[in-house]
Amino acid sequence: MVELAFKGLTKHYESVKALDGFTHRFESGKIHALIGKNGSGKSTFIKLMSGAISPTSGSISIDNETVQFSGPKDAFEKGVVTVYQELSLVPELTVAENIFLGRLPKKSWSGGMIIDWPKLKKDTTNLLAEIAASDIAPESIVSSLSVGKQQIVEIVKAMSFSPKILQLDEPTSALAQTEVSQLFNLIRRLRKLGVTIIYISHRLSELQQIADTVTAIRDGIFVGSVAIEDANPDVILDMMFGDLPPLEKPRRVIDTTDPILEGKGLTLTPHFEDINFKLHKGEVLGIAGMLGSGRTELLHCLFGARKLDSGQISVKGRFIDNPTIPTMKNVGIGYTSEDRKSSGLVQILSSHANLCLAGMKQIAPSNWISTAKEAPFVAKQVSDLHIKVGNLHDPVSSLSGGNQQKIVVGNWMINHPDILLFDEPSRGVDVQAKRQIYQIIWEKAEQGLSSIVVSTELEDLVECCDRILVLHEGKLTNEFMNIGLDPKTLYAACMPNTDKTSINNNSADMKKEATQ
Amino acid sequence: MTNTNIKIFLRRNSMLVILGVLYLLVATTAQGFMSVNNQLNILRNIAVPGMIAFGMTFVIISGEIDLSVGSMVAVSAVMTAWIVKWASGGAFEPEWYIVALAFAFTIGFAAAIGFFNGVLRHRVGMPTFISTLAMMAILAGLANLISNGASIESFPSWYYVIGSGRLFGVPVPVYLLGIAFAITFIILNYTTLGRSIYSVGGNMEAARLSGINVWRTKAICMMFTAVFAAIGGIIYSSLINSGSPTIGRGLELEVISAVIIGGISLFGGKGSIWGAFIGVLFLGVLINAMTLWGFNPYAQQIVKGGLILAAVFVNFFIDRK
Repeated sequence: MVELAFKGLTKHYESVKALDGFTHRFESGKIHALIGKNGSGKSTFIKLMSGAISPTSGSISIDNETVQFSGPKDAFEKGVVTVYQELSLVPELTVAENIFLGRLPKKSWSGGMIIDWPKLKKDTTNLLAEIAASDIAPESIVSSLSVGKQQIVEIVKAMSFSPKILQLDEPTSALAQTEVSQLFNLIRRLRKLGVTIIYISHRLSELQQIADTVTAIRDGIFVGSVAIEDANPDVILDMMFGDLPPLEKPRRVIDTTDPILEGKGLTLTPHFEDINFKLHKGEVLGIAGMLGSGRTELLHCLFGARKLDSGQISVKGRFIDNPTIPTMKNVGIGYTSEDRKSSGLVQILSSHANLCLAGMKQIAPSNWISTAKEAPFVAKQVSDLHIKVGNLHDPVSSLSGGNQQKIVVGNWMINHPDILLFDEPSRGVDVQAKRQIYQIIWEKAEQGLSSIVVSTELEDLVECCDRILVLHEGKLTNEFMNIGLDPKTLYAACMPNTDKTSINNNSADMKKEATQ
Repeated sequence: MTNTNIKIFLRRNSMLVILGVLYLLVATTAQGFMSVNNQLNILRNIAVPGMIAFGMTFVIISGEIDLSVGSMVAVSAVMTAWIVKWASGGAFEPEWYIVALAFAFTIGFAAAIGFFNGVLRHRVGMPTFISTLAMMAILAGLANLISNGASIESFPSWYYVIGSGRLFGVPVPVYLLGIAFAITFIILNYTTLGRSIYSVGGNMEAARLSGINVWRTKAICMMFTAVFAAIGGIIYSSLINSGSPTIGRGLELEVISAVIIGGISLFGGKGSIWGAFIGVLFLGVLINAMTLWGFNPYAQQIVKGGLILAAVFVNFFIDRK
């Protein structure tokens, strides 16, 4: 039984306080949920605990003994094991090989040269049986298992190190409902074995099922901790969000006579089905949806980057027969990617070059181009969007997340789009830059740009959008006019819940409330 | 210049500095190296690998590779000679337009092969490493098949001019190299195609989502390389005044080495025509120097390989900083 205590734990990144004076005590042998918005300091906490980074000040103590981790290995030796959100399994190896990766049992007579396959299988079988996961065969190739099973293998691997403290970072984010309950059974069994578990999740509805205590951090600061019996949804949401200072959004009258973009019966199995919506000129439309709700896929289809199974897209009243990126670009649609690293920017190219990708035809109708020709276009975006950049010809990867995001946006602005699709524009962006990006969206909206903003950060949508649609498991389940809308209402409408009818009734009530 | 300026200069132009050191070293130790004639000789020798390297620069910046250039050189030399022989009915002095026809057909064939590699990449998702490896074997076989394994001698008496002739004292291939440099340099720096090549190689998905036609860009790069290889084959066939199926064997290695020495990243998205030229010149000077020094030709190969390793190591090291 291990008690975990923190005293003034602080981590600064230059001027940013990622975690600030975290002082708390986690009781042993319990499941402690840790909640907070993106950027609240949860991941900093995990990294500190796993030894990936070291604190600026403050201390961690395990069983009244102060520990200092100078690397992940130290944390490991103290019995702290972390299972990250991104799985770290080798897909083409078997379950057994993955669990004992780097420490496969060897035949004793071989001098550590020859692998003892029968022992490997036996050890793995025992481990799997211990946590009642015998439905997973030791010799299965990991890539052939479902994501949920892979998650379980990852946890079994963590268990094989006999941890005293186990950190689980959003273990259910990619799981189906049945897999979630299997995982929960596994976690409860670990608790019985005396393991202290720190459970991080975005899915607030799960907490009631699995957690013993709920602890919240907000903007790097410890907010509070309550026993699960006292943690009703209101308490949890209050702890997470506090009182949000309102952001001044200009009031605009939106002409709703002719939609500029209309989707009818849009379907792409298994991501979404029968999506119907309208976007009006100058409107900022939000789509709220959790990871895996089909939001990115929907935007991709609207942009022609993916083919729909069925459904019709009309732009400015004209039906688009075969949406491809070039056709959609021609009718005035742009798309900013959710992932600046893998698909938003060409990281090794300069800021200058990245601003000139989508608007190449605009800059050089004749196809003859030069840095001098591009320069005024680049300069306009840099000043319009307040992009902070030292040398425009340095790789874009040297910029902060917020400035990179502005470059993604500026890249499209050169093209003068009528409709811009924003996929998670606030991901990995600090609060100030985030608000600047919203300002840009509003300014452009006043000039007639229509936007669709997709985000998992619901309070961001409430801050930014005129109207919000809720995408839940591939279906549009709700619509909110964003006039005095409470983020908590939206949260309730988006929360995955086993009891669907109650949530729909609930949110319908709240919707009424919000529009009043 | 301040200290940091010097450092930046060295980092940006490390290969140029290394080339300068090599020049100094060879100039002081090998007799006749600095003579105008020898320098022109080096340039003539690097003309064919050079122009192919410029095409290869396109291909590698776009994130692909072409291993079939050596075989393309061979098949082009043989094909040109064979067409001239066939169309002129084996005449002793074929008409000029027959030669022109052979050029047009050969270059068209090369362009088609390059395009085909692009299509395979696009439609089947086949990596160009595989498709051009296969093409390397196919084209080498085709060269042997057309020529029946022997040289075809069918060219008119003036044909030598392309490879061995001189204009104002400068070998004709050097002019061709200059033209190839100018064309590829302008495309890469002053056209939207050039911009597309960098972005496609730097991040294919980001380029696609910006509305850039990824596969067309890559296919054009493959076509450029193949066409330069075909022109290289024609120059070689003129140099030896016959179409031989062994011409250009192993040239892909020399070309790719030169491009890498020139600082063009094998991961795509990075590099320049100027860099490729430095890389080719470096190899050309090295080979010339080793010949002047009287190195054993087999030892030359080892030195060449070792220096490629060293150059790539240096580049990698600079890149990571």
